[in-house]
Amino acid sequence: MRRLGEEPAPSGAGGGANAAFTSLLEDSAEELYESAPCGYLSTLMDGTIAKINDTLLEWLGLERTAVVGRRRFADLLTVGGKLYHETHFAPLLRMQGELRGIALELKTQAGARLPVLVSSVVKRGGQGEPLLIRTTVFDAADRRAYEEELLRRRREAEQARAEAERARREAEADRARLADALAVLQRSLVPDSLPDVPGLETAVHYHTASADRLGGDFYDLFPLDGERWAFFLGDVCGKGPEAASLTSLTRYTLRAAALHDPAPEAALTTLNAVLYERYAVGGDPRYCTAIFGVVEPGPAGATVHLASGGHPPAMVLRADGGVELLPTPGGLLVGVLPDAPVGSVRTTLAPGETLLLYTDGLTEARTGPGDRYGEDALRAFAAGRAPASPQQLITALTGLLDGFGDGLDDDTALLALGVPAARPTTELPR
Amino acid sequence: MTPLNITRRDAAAGPVLHVAGDLVYGQAAALRREVERLDLGAGQCLVIDLSGLGICDSTGITALLAARLHAHAAGAGIALAAVPAGTLNVLTIVGLDRVFPIRADADTA
Repeated sequence: MRRLGEEPAPSGAGGGANAAFTSLLEDSAEELYESAPCGYLSTLMDGTIAKINDTLLEWLGLERTAVVGRRRFADLLTVGGKLYHETHFAPLLRMQGELRGIALELKTQAGARLPVLVSSVVKRGGQGEPLLIRTTVFDAADRRAYEEELLRRRREAEQARAEAERARREAEADRARLADALAVLQRSLVPDSLPDVPGLETAVHYHTASADRLGGDFYDLFPLDGERWAFFLGDVCGKGPEAASLTSLTRYTLRAAALHDPAPEAALTTLNAVLYERYAVGGDPRYCTAIFGVVEPGPAGATVHLASGGHPPAMVLRADGGVELLPTPGGLLVGVLPDAPVGSVRTTLAPGETLLLYTDGLTEARTGPGDRYGEDALRAFAAGRAPASPQQLITALTGLLDGFGDGLDDDTALLALGVPAARPTTELPR
Repeated sequence: MTPLNITRRDAAAGPVLHVAGDLVYGQAAALRREVERLDLGAGQCLVIDLSGLGICDSTGITALLAARLHAHAAGAGIALAAVPAGTLNVLTIVGLDRVFPIRADADTA
């Protein structure tokens, strides 16, 4: 193709340049009409095509003789286009006298659809009466493709958003299911509530160090027969699901053992044999510390028989304000040796006296860099509150635990039981 | 949490593992692995030197108990040396001071 600058130089100067320019101009308005880059169309008011240009005929693949005077504009449209033309396009055009940029589809002779943008103007006579309709038709295939691309992108974005939303909902549902499962398992480790024991008041508190890590502390209280009740509290080694399965094994072993032989030493000896057989024999030692007790409420107070396997000593708050530790020398971690010694001790709780069992989350709480709360501080804390009912003591200790904040990094279980003071306290047993 | 560093040397009576750092959840398993690599002979004594021990939690105690099982399975003995006061207190509460021979230091073999 020749570019403008390559036009052969005309022989005459001056006038030659004008001649070259003129040669680029359209020969006539007729030529422009026929070969314009858009379709032109004139119809009578009833739509019958009176005049149509070559460009549009070429797009449609139709002969002029087959169109002029024989077809109406609507006949060139797809079925949907015909409907739209009849219900919207034509009435609006009659009302407004013109319409611009209406998207329609032409149907070509070969059966293809050609998206177009149509503008029409009504030409009027001297009296304002409508004479005919002039219409221009622009090829909108590119624009339609662009719009379809936009639509496709929007659908994709909406789909992606919907999928993200569904994934979020599923993740939330999964989390909720997991939390439910953990809550059910947690309830199998410690009871929801303690049974009422005639002649005794009881109170418990369980602090979970981490909501999604099942705890390794456990406690329970249950009847042995008409007069005696068994209770235990302990701490298994480790954290997480493995610790929880060990806790579960421990709790139900102790309950079953106590029904078989209610002596506290016997329950812990059975537990030791079960844990040793289950874990240590395979070279994977797991163990726990535990205090197991039997209490028998009586008219003058309650007798308590405790056995311990490596657990921190229980504490008694006496009615006169004194605080006693109840060491159980000789006891050993439960599950370490095939025949573990168990230490035991007995005491009596008079009215107004309270026995406290706790796990070492309490005494091992960090109170400063390198400092742990410790047994001595706990003893002093109890002495400052003795005498106290089980509920009063647990309430005070719960406040103490809350005060440790982040320093309390382990699970902590507290179990208190006592004989109500002769003078009724204002608080009711739980 | 102080990182755990375990070094081994051989004494006349058997291997000595020196434990420095915290024997706690997430780290104590390293001691178990180190002990399982030892090729202990019958009659030897494995000494675990705790002079560099920081904190020892229940998983640390589990690792010591696993070391004891490993030594006994090989017909060897085990002893803890230079146990820090805090850990010794815990061992005493749970009764393990009667399960492990405890020595003042690793060299009094």
